[in-house]
Amino acid sequence: MPTVVTIDPVTRLEGHLRADVTVDAVDGKQQVIEARLSGTSFRGFETMLVGRDPSEAPHLTQRICGVCSVPHGVAAALALEKAAPSTIPENARVLRNLVLGANFIQSHILHFYQLSLLDYVGGPGMPPWEPQWNTDRRITGEDGARLVDHYKAALQAVRQTNEMAAVFAGRQPHSPAFVPGGFTNVPTMDQVAAFRKYGGIIADFLRRVYVPDVDFVAARYPEYNQLGRGYGSLLAFGGFPLDAAGKGLFFSGGRMTDGGKESQPMSFEAVTEQVTHSWYDNGAANRHPSNGATAAVYPKEGAYSWLKAPRYEGQPCETGPLARMTIGGHYRKGISVHDRHRARAAEALKIVETLPGWLDEIKPGEAVYSRYAVPAEAEAAGLTEAPRGALGHWLKIRQGKIAHYQVVTPTCWNASPRDDQHTPGPIEKALVGTPVADPQQPVEVLRVVHSFDPCLACAVHVCRPANTARAIVL
Amino acid sequence: MRISRRAFLRCCALASASLGLGPKELTDLEKALADPGAPSVLWLQGSGCSGCTISFLNYIAPSEPVDAAEVLIRSANLLYHPTLSAGAGEAVVAEVRKASNYILLVEGGVPTAFGGHACAPWSDGGREVPFLEAVRTLAEKARQVMCVGTCAAYGGISAMGANPAAVKSVSEAIGKSTINVSGCPPHPNWIVETLVPLLQGKAVTLDGRGRPVSLYGGRRMCDDCPFHGRGEARSLGERGRCMEALGCWGELGSAPCPTTQWNNRVNWCIAAGSPCLGCTDPTFPGTTSLLRQRGGGRGPGGGRGRGRGRG
Repeated sequence: MPTVVTIDPVTRLEGHLRADVTVDAVDGKQQVIEARLSGTSFRGFETMLVGRDPSEAPHLTQRICGVCSVPHGVAAALALEKAAPSTIPENARVLRNLVLGANFIQSHILHFYQLSLLDYVGGPGMPPWEPQWNTDRRITGEDGARLVDHYKAALQAVRQTNEMAAVFAGRQPHSPAFVPGGFTNVPTMDQVAAFRKYGGIIADFLRRVYVPDVDFVAARYPEYNQLGRGYGSLLAFGGFPLDAAGKGLFFSGGRMTDGGKESQPMSFEAVTEQVTHSWYDNGAANRHPSNGATAAVYPKEGAYSWLKAPRYEGQPCETGPLARMTIGGHYRKGISVHDRHRARAAEALKIVETLPGWLDEIKPGEAVYSRYAVPAEAEAAGLTEAPRGALGHWLKIRQGKIAHYQVVTPTCWNASPRDDQHTPGPIEKALVGTPVADPQQPVEVLRVVHSFDPCLACAVHVCRPANTARAIVL
Repeated sequence: MRISRRAFLRCCALASASLGLGPKELTDLEKALADPGAPSVLWLQGSGCSGCTISFLNYIAPSEPVDAAEVLIRSANLLYHPTLSAGAGEAVVAEVRKASNYILLVEGGVPTAFGGHACAPWSDGGREVPFLEAVRTLAEKARQVMCVGTCAAYGGISAMGANPAAVKSVSEAIGKSTINVSGCPPHPNWIVETLVPLLQGKAVTLDGRGRPVSLYGGRRMCDDCPFHGRGEARSLGERGRCMEALGCWGELGSAPCPTTQWNNRVNWCIAAGSPCLGCTDPTFPGTTSLLRQRGGGRGPGGGRGRGRGRG
């Protein structure tokens, strides 16, 4: 007998999400047979940028998200620099990578400890960590107490990683240092030394606390090495340019389909948007999104989310650390709940170990900014990677003002609703087959959803993948 | 002999090993010793980015509470926070529903489009509750309503431009003045140094924009800025010069950033080479520009709500 279980709010993620899962017995085991994820907040950033000075896009779009504001600053700046076009001083390229790298690490630590861990362990026995579903607890006693201590230590590590980023960025979150033409902060030797010192502290935390804890939890909940696989279809745009032309990337872009052994290059022309199950006007469904304005429509027959459904060659794709690390050949253990946590931790470690080399490239006192003039007419895209996955900003400038702005966010891919073919989004698919022992406390559902690290403020701000006849050359 | 609660707890912590008290028992003890009359806290998020929450979590100070964890364990009984709450779904909605004697914190603006369904923070009894309704209902019973961040206080970036979700400030949405800890984001010190006195029942003096005077009031940023009078920057990327010509808000803005600095004093916006964008101001982000225009401010309308507190 199928039962619909609703979790609203899904807590411990960024933004507003509701999950409705249908639970029924399959081969005698109660499990999810269907899932619907609803982004329950509409922001409308795209239309709100129209008419503004394009050079302010990095400042404004960072406010799409306060956990991952840096990648939005980067993507906006990249789009503007493609629009001009212009090259930025080498110092600026390196500073952006350093700050973005720190932002990734901050986000990943926060995600495992503050957002995910309490699906597996009891927290401190007081609000906001009570009430808590007290079910399927396999980590208790001293082990549980140790992880609670690590939760508190992680808050310190998150604070310190934000400080590390702010050494150059001025402030976290929402750094004013990201501008078209480069970066505002001229680095000093003291700043380089401070960033390096923080890096060492954070590297210790990652190696001695975060990475071992991910493995510890996975060992106690081994079935989640298979659960939550989803489509097994991965996507990355690539990010962290390693040279002035942006040809070499620290994380390469690519596409890997279910069962694929090799990643294929990705092409932005293959990206489409679908709105059949989203609260937007159906009239835009078959138009090139970059040329149309999509109006919010609520209520709407069949729609259940403020997220649209980005699809690649018509297929849903997962994006994020697991996608990046797998496509880049750095992680090949599989696709599951724990693989996402492991890949995220491995990515944080990979970044922290790379930061010192980047620091060595900084030339204290030298230029960070080359004068940028907003073009009168231009169209360009800025593509990068955010902690949660592939991120793109598309911009059209007319008469020197923003005429059109759209953002493709990673969570829009991951948490998308069904598309025009009624094909579920990646998390909706990943939930199918998840056992639910107690429909009053469906913690198993939280474990799968949280493994994707959803960020809904990013996703619901009207994300439309751009569509263009030109290939995007990074 | 009088002993402060703090000192007693310290003794307990030291003795806990021999008493066999584990972390859970200690936190229970602290909870029991807390002033039973002190209000709890409900923290809601509307249309925003969670940047204010991340900023709060960055809190670090030399005196108690020394960090965000300590605020949550010792100073504030935080009944609900969407990003931090361990529970989900009906379990947390029940906590919100039965809350009494609380301070309401709101982060993010209040969307009012589509009958308020542009933002639904939870379902109650199978019905999606619009954020507009949640804020109004909870503000009614709240001891105080404190806005965390410029979006909640004045509309901010969440209400800019076309504003298709029809986002309003909290005070516009509830029809009452609010305590406005503005900033995009606000400095963690501003959040904690306003919340903790409120929890202790102390009055907070507000300026004409509803902001705590002790934190935001009194001085032009220029008066404390180390680059004041140090030449004029003509371009971004120059180090250590006054950026008034680039549109810096220091002359008009009042925020204590030159003295508090940011992120445990590693840096701050102006020292990082950016003109101040005036993010604590009701007009942020302006209608046409973030930057201060020659001859005055940037005009009304950037932040949708007025959000003027009356102190």
